[in-house]
Amino acid sequence: MTKDKTSQKSALVIGGGVAGMQASLDIASQGYRVYLVEKQTSIGGRMAALDKTFPTLDCSACILTPRLSEVARHPNIELLTYSEVESVKGKAGKFRVTVRRKARYVDEDKCSGCGDCSRECPVEVPNEFDEGLGFRKAIYIPFPQATPNVYAIDRERCIQCKRCQKTCERGAIDFEMTDQIVELQVGAIIVATGYKLFDVSQYPRLGYGKYTNVITAMEYERLINAAGPTQGHLIRLSDGRVPKNIAFIQCVGARDVAKGVPYCSRVCCMYGIKNAVMAREHDPEARVTVYYADIRAFGKGFEEFYEMAKTRFGVDFVKGRVGELSENPHNQNLVMSVENILTGKVSEREHDLVVICPGLQPPEGLDTIANALGLERSIDGYLNVEDRFAAPVETLVPGVFTCGCADGPKDIPDSVTAGSAAAMKATIILAVGGVA
Amino acid sequence: MTGTEEPRIGVFVCHCGHNIAGTVDVAKVAQTAAGLPNVVFATDEMFMCSDNGQQLIREKIKEHRLNRVVVASCSPRMHEPTFRRVCEEAGLNRYLFEQVNLREHVSWCHMREPEAATAKAIDLVRMSVARAARLETLPVKTVQVTPRTLVVGGGIAGITASLDIADRGFEVVLVERQPRLGGNLINWTHLFPTDETGAEVLEPLINRVRNHDKIKIFTDAEVVAFDGYIGNFQATVRETKTGRESHHDVGAVIVTTGFQSFKPHGYYGYKITPDILTLAELQEMPRSKELRRPSDGQLVKKLAFIGCVGSREPGVKGHEHCSRHCCSAVAKAAADLRARTEEVVILYQDVRTYGKGHEEFHRLARSRRVIYSKFPERDKPKVTLEDGRITIRWHDVLADEDLILQPDMLVLASAMVPPDTADEVAKLFSLTRSSDGFFNPEHIKLAPLTTHTAGIMIAGAAQAAKNAHEAAIDASGAAAKAVGLMARGEVEIESTVAHVNPDLCSSCHTCVTACPYHAISMDTSRTPEVALVTEAKCHGCGTCAAGCPSGAIMMRHSTTDQILAMVEAYLCPPPAAQEVRAQ
Repeated sequence: MTKDKTSQKSALVIGGGVAGMQASLDIASQGYRVYLVEKQTSIGGRMAALDKTFPTLDCSACILTPRLSEVARHPNIELLTYSEVESVKGKAGKFRVTVRRKARYVDEDKCSGCGDCSRECPVEVPNEFDEGLGFRKAIYIPFPQATPNVYAIDRERCIQCKRCQKTCERGAIDFEMTDQIVELQVGAIIVATGYKLFDVSQYPRLGYGKYTNVITAMEYERLINAAGPTQGHLIRLSDGRVPKNIAFIQCVGARDVAKGVPYCSRVCCMYGIKNAVMAREHDPEARVTVYYADIRAFGKGFEEFYEMAKTRFGVDFVKGRVGELSENPHNQNLVMSVENILTGKVSEREHDLVVICPGLQPPEGLDTIANALGLERSIDGYLNVEDRFAAPVETLVPGVFTCGCADGPKDIPDSVTAGSAAAMKATIILAVGGVA
Repeated sequence: MTGTEEPRIGVFVCHCGHNIAGTVDVAKVAQTAAGLPNVVFATDEMFMCSDNGQQLIREKIKEHRLNRVVVASCSPRMHEPTFRRVCEEAGLNRYLFEQVNLREHVSWCHMREPEAATAKAIDLVRMSVARAARLETLPVKTVQVTPRTLVVGGGIAGITASLDIADRGFEVVLVERQPRLGGNLINWTHLFPTDETGAEVLEPLINRVRNHDKIKIFTDAEVVAFDGYIGNFQATVRETKTGRESHHDVGAVIVTTGFQSFKPHGYYGYKITPDILTLAELQEMPRSKELRRPSDGQLVKKLAFIGCVGSREPGVKGHEHCSRHCCSAVAKAAADLRARTEEVVILYQDVRTYGKGHEEFHRLARSRRVIYSKFPERDKPKVTLEDGRITIRWHDVLADEDLILQPDMLVLASAMVPPDTADEVAKLFSLTRSSDGFFNPEHIKLAPLTTHTAGIMIAGAAQAAKNAHEAAIDASGAAAKAVGLMARGEVEIESTVAHVNPDLCSSCHTCVTACPYHAISMDTSRTPEVALVTEAKCHGCGTCAAGCPSGAIMMRHSTTDQILAMVEAYLCPPPAAQEVRAQ
């Protein structure tokens, strides 16, 4: 598909979220080969689990799905899902990478994704993709548009009844499968490992894990998602009733020195506003309040979206930190005291659903990858870049680049942009065969 | 397949999870479709766009020898390319595919009336099936890409994009309106988040640009004419001093025309004394150990900042947006200047120190006892001169008190707005502008660097208010798009374009003036001359066909025959469909 003579050259992208996918596509479109390594069984990252996305409220799956199949079908991209980078040697232009391909016990070439195995499987366990609110089988794909559309067996949950194996007409299921080690030669490496959400149970006063109707924003995303466990019906987990008075609490695990997260997580204000707007979309009668410290609506169209949330959707914004939550034992509503900073008044408020909006943190395993690549991390755990202006996606190791949330929290547009930028820098290395 | 044999249509109705199926009875739509003329297969499925759904279409095309495919799902804007590709993989010409929008046009807008929504869905599917039967095979065309990129604007974004493209081995023509490269940034002596000056950051990059044998630089110059289409643009560059014009063939364009700092006349006493200045003007003051006020050179003991000057003003045209960089830049400037002054006060609405290290500047400023005071959204501070002294009166929200401050100098963090030339640039490159006045990307989330004009990219503050760090990342990303085009060497173009029947053309020129894309010219090689469509420039909008008094223009893929078939199908439903409607 290309006339470029250097098309044999290749790059490694670590992480198959929206940033890593963009980086892969922009490298592959120049005719170079890309190995896209993803820890989970499917690419798509966090974005695949979101409902709508700010500031234009497009449905996340609707805009992401074409990307998933574009990546999967690109002749220059090789997907290595359910895989992890083990070691990296060499330097820019010629890295030698060892990747562990974990056994999924289903042959990727033989599986057609028909789902007969899953229907037959008697084991039902909470689905991590639904934040544990929905269920999946022990042989499963995490979500309907999973890419590649290949099942995997969760051996920790599997009871080895082997009914799936008997059902599979294509003989794709292999219980003897073992992890495979793959050696790759690549000229450049892009780290796009994403983020994890702050564990909000570190704030005991907010009652997460103790009170059923205190949920996280990610659980909320799954509850309002048409493909989620409730088919998009927003309900309270305590009694299945439709909430009528919802609170969103911002800046939890962000801008907090005491919790080791001194930085702003950059996306929570906007996803909080988006979720508040969606609550009104789902139920125009519902009262919706956002408790915030500052509203940071800084990106293109964000301030306009914030304004729309206030005026068109009637979301109530209260500047103030929320105190300790307690549960009303009669109706499982949450009672909290809040100081409205603008009026200086402290009041007691009752909500029937509380959504905590956690900040972002470096993902599990970023330290291992950083060590394998010899990358420097800042005190907050994110990767350092070489120069904020002259080399904003370059790490301190030549030939290794960063994008998405690997070097700090970012929203979708900024992650996608950084993915393209990292691809640009990587292809310069590939074109000249090393650092010029 | 040629598209001329007896139509064998397959209809695939998508649930889109609960998005469509939650409102529309998709099974009923599929059943009804199965009874329509020429339909040999119809079904419904959870996600047609998923791998499963795509596989289903490919299998059914083979199994039932389908030669037309109708997918009733979402807007074609996102997934038409997906399904066209699926058809091609199964050996069907991409133009034998037809998509019905049951989500945006039905389920989402009739969410609370499921029965009427289902009836409408059935109407739409019936119309599309009728049209599908008349679809024709069209050729898939490609054009070559000239391996050279035009970069418009020589600020940090333009410089970075040029260097990346040139380092990757492609030629660049870099055009800057000002006499020197460096944009706004080069004039700034105080940057955030580092302690460097703009010149310190930019000079090494500018030197590399100047010495790069693949980059041709035009400063003090403008693009005065621009024409062509993706892969094949022609730009005319005029050098202001000499008036000399040069022509350049380029395959791609990156627009990095940046921003200008809003001059807040009428806000907070701007310009009533030289000691009230904007943040950009402060950033341009010469570096010195002391901070002296512009009016008389006296040391500044008390310094004040006011945030959101001309930003975040809903209802005021063009300045509703947040200017993104100012909160962090003010925090950094305040933290730096605190040591040289006795008091620094920042009046703000919200503190938006969002980026990496920005919150830390905010915290540093506070730890150095910079005073942050929040003013009410609707009751902004008032600035006057009293006995020649700057006097600010405002209401502090947190203390709930009216306060007065008489600073020696007042810095207004004024908005980042599009340059005055934005309109001209938009016209020249057929770009659209969003409500903030900056250029619109193709898709705000997943295609932030490309535009609706194929082959033209935007980067940096041309797209929205941004800081220099972000502009540099944008630039590399946009460069990747340009290089992607050039490295492939050719690009596919749409065949859904206007076509002139020369025998019917009366040479009236109506279409030439009607075409918003300048895609129609007169073919003077013929006598009499007739209209000629440059297909790569045609967007298929149909304005010309509607305007042509002779009926000489036919829109491929939207022929009169195809459209009338839809109208007829709607007005004259077959008996089976009538029953469903009556229920």
